[in-house]
Amino acid sequence: MAESPVSIHNSDSDDSEDPNPSPQQQKQMEQAYAQMKRKMSVQEISRKIKHKIMVLSGKGGVGKSTVSTGLALSLAQRGHSVGILDIDITGPNVPKMMGLDGHRLHVEEGRIHPAQGHLGVKVISMAFLLEDEDTPVVWRGPIKLGAIQQFIGDVEWGELDYLVIDFPPGTSDEPLTVAQSLPDIDGMVIVTTPQEVALLDSRKSINFSESLKVPVLGVVENMSGYTIRGTAMANTELVIAGPGGKSHKVTSDGDGNFSVTLDIFKKGGGKSTAEEFEVPFLGALPFDPGFVRGGDDGVHRIVSDPDGESAIAFSKVVDSILEQISESPGDSLEII
Amino acid sequence: MSDKLPVMKRLERRDVDILVSYDNDQNFIITYDDIRYSCPCAKCSPQRNNDESSKYLRREVESIAAEKPKVKTVGKYAISFEWTSGCSSGIYRFERIWSLANKEDPDNGRGYVHGVW
Repeated sequence: MAESPVSIHNSDSDDSEDPNPSPQQQKQMEQAYAQMKRKMSVQEISRKIKHKIMVLSGKGGVGKSTVSTGLALSLAQRGHSVGILDIDITGPNVPKMMGLDGHRLHVEEGRIHPAQGHLGVKVISMAFLLEDEDTPVVWRGPIKLGAIQQFIGDVEWGELDYLVIDFPPGTSDEPLTVAQSLPDIDGMVIVTTPQEVALLDSRKSINFSESLKVPVLGVVENMSGYTIRGTAMANTELVIAGPGGKSHKVTSDGDGNFSVTLDIFKKGGGKSTAEEFEVPFLGALPFDPGFVRGGDDGVHRIVSDPDGESAIAFSKVVDSILEQISESPGDSLEII
Repeated sequence: MSDKLPVMKRLERRDVDILVSYDNDQNFIITYDDIRYSCPCAKCSPQRNNDESSKYLRREVESIAAEKPKVKTVGKYAISFEWTSGCSSGIYRFERIWSLANKEDPDNGRGYVHGVW
């Protein structure tokens, strides 16, 4: 940290207070200076980052980090400069998905420099601070929030078109801290899976946006359907046993190829939630085991299969998000 | 629907209503009571599902003293109203405002159903 400019000097004035502050007062002044410096730094960072998108879910295990990294990579594929801020302190998965497993935090002159993952996406994650990946982060609120503020104010992102912020599940302190610390957030993307329990929680997230005063960009339904493909005799009718004992009839084409999409976790719940709350439905992402493999191998599905079904689905979701945050009727609306 | 929707260009907050102007030169007046009554949030919407609770909601809304709300755009798709009393949770899509402006049912006759999937 730079030396504090707060200097102690003896005044000629008739001020009756002791002009020499105690060590405690000196420490307080230095802390106040550091806070002010960070606030100015946050404003500068905010100016350099054109768009900030929060990714939230009400429930864990819906693939939020997969969606965050997917959105970031999909935006990077279009030539945008993109960063990901992984705020999930208790379970930071983003580095692994971005091929940065084991990477350490690089600090230079008091500034944190992000790592560069696939397609040049800049990554900052709590995982970079961990001694090893098996070490749990057991931090109480104030320490956790201090770390988040540091990750917002002390990171040297440079100029970015988009910053995607990945949060832990639920409606906890983290999004609140970010929303209060980082100005001009474009909005939040709510990730859900089609089943009821996830949807109930995603409704909480949508209502949570009201408390944060951050608009909802829309709902993404992840793990929406699993497509199986195979070959059989040409023009043959097949019966596929799906989840819940439901049978799916499918006919192979002239070359013997067939495909059928199974709705493993039901279907359409994300869209219904979006309709219910009158927020945009951004799209559905298929259930793709390639994401699991890619996550473990450190090669994201969008990188390994840039023209695949999942990459195309992500691209559609990105289109919907960009539509929300581009020049809008809202921008030209005169409210008096 | 949203492709054909005229673009709202101006919203003037008046004492008891708003005057909205669209890019097709049409102007409409929507009362604050109608706006509050048609709040799309999860708390207000179910109250419009049956006659009794619907009447109760209407009476409740009309009993609130008239006030000019703060109006903000929400993303590209909606506006929100912030009142000092009553519910401020609703996100009003431009389609909903258009329906209200044209004295149509903003719920399109669709009852609010909570979690049927």
